[in-house]
Parts: sequence; C-alpha cells; structure tokens
Amino acid sequence: MDSLRIPILKIGDILIASIQVALHDASAVQFKDDLLQKIHDTRAKGVIVDLTALDVVDSFIGRLIADIAAMAGLMGTRVVLTGLQPAVAITLVELGLELPRVLTALNLEKGLSMMQRLTEESGDDAA
Amino acid sequence: MTQPKTAVIRSDLDIVIARTMARDAAKALGFGAIDQARIATAVSELARNIFLYAGTGNVSVKEIERSGRKGIEIVCEDQGPGIANVDLVMQDGYSTSRGMGMGLPGAKRLMDEFNIRSQEGVGTTITCRKWRG
Repeated sequence: MDSLRIPILKIGDILIASIQVALHDASAVQFKDDLLQKIHDTRAKGVIVDLTALDVVDSFIGRLIADIAAMAGLMGTRVVLTGLQPAVAITLVELGLELPRVLTALNLEKGLSMMQRLTEESGDDAA
Repeated sequence: MTQPKTAVIRSDLDIVIARTMARDAAKALGFGAIDQARIATAVSELARNIFLYAGTGNVSVKEIERSGRKGIEIVCEDQGPGIANVDLVMQDGYSTSRGMGMGLPGAKRLMDEFNIRSQEGVGTTITCRKWRG
C-alpha cells in the first residue's frame, strides 16, 4: 500500500506534525504508528498535531486523534491539537465526537506556547 | 444544474474520493462551508460503512428540488449482508466490533432527512438529503 507519510518535525523537545492532505484510513493509521515511534525515538516531551488544512474530520480520524493523544499520554508525552476549522469543530460535535480529553489550541502559535508551558511544568515536577 | 455523480467504493481511498465528490457537489449547489463539511462528513461515515460491512457499493449525489427549495440527495447502496435490526444500529454507541458506534446516527444528525432500507442477505440502501437554507 503506497500510504503517504505525514512528515513529523522535531524542534527542541517538541514534535510538530501538520496534516496537509485528506487522510485515508491506512495513511491515518500509518501516521499514528510513525508518531508514536518518533516519540519513543526522540523522547519528545510534547507533540503538536496541526489540522489547519483539514476540511473534513470524520469519526474514524477523530477517534484516531483521540487514540493518539491517549497513547502518547501513556508514554508521558502531551499532545496538543491545533487549527481546527470552525466547520470541523461543528461537525465533530454534531457527530458526537467531542474529544473531551484532547488538549487544543486555536492555532500553531498558541499551541506552541501552550506546549512550552506544559513541558516546563512537567520539567519542574521531575526536578 | 450539476450532473448526478457516482463513486464506487472498493477501498478506503474511495471513501476520500466519495466525500470529495459530495463536497464539490454541495459547493456547486450553493451550500455554505459548514453544510459542505456536514455533507462531506456524512458521506465519509456512510462510505466507510459500505467499505467495512459490505466491501463494495456505490455512493451517488444529485441535486433535488421540492417546493422551490433546492437540496442535495445522497444515495448509498450496497449488496452486503444487510442490517438485521435497523433501530439498533441507529442507536448512539451501538457498534459491531469494527465500527465506532457513531457512523449512522452521526450521519443522520448531520443531514436533514435520513432513510434506511435494508434486507438481510440482499443489501442496504441509505438515502439522505440536505436542504439549502
């Protein structure tokens, strides 16, 4: 299967993945696997998944994102979702998928500052 | 008038093709961005149901008109195993092992009208409509 790979960038202790194309199911699952492996390999403290370019998030992708956040959480890594379009937020809630346990920020910039706060806090805890 | 269009569902790639087709049709019919997302998302749920439970099927979209009001009609057909208890699958949270328990009731909430005809061993046809505000 020629599933396309979503690039995952590392900046300091944070990984950033910006999903720019409509994901089909196989590529979404590939992204989950790649991201969790990359968290393990880089020991990232946080992950930002930017969805600005997505105009449809159906229950499959929504559920997968919730799973990614839960799985990364088990590994000790925070996930912040950024850039959800208004239409996507509306359809997710109408679908019944409110992602209550997923951290979100309006855009990538706000997501980065949220992540910096979160990782500093957890750094203090560890010290 | 946009022409009726059909997408054949055979793989998960076709789910993306079907919802893109539905979004483009909704846009051409003058639906706003939020309704376009609702329609595309509903088609994504229904096309995934075809792929998961029947393997193959068709999704077609066309323009409709009633009492001077324009809308879009989406018909999803398969010759899969059919649904034994339609009331049950329309309950939130109900799912067989592979689904999310959200597909059909979620798609219904996103559309204005929603009808399922299904017969075990014969297949399922779901017809749903959304009217332009």
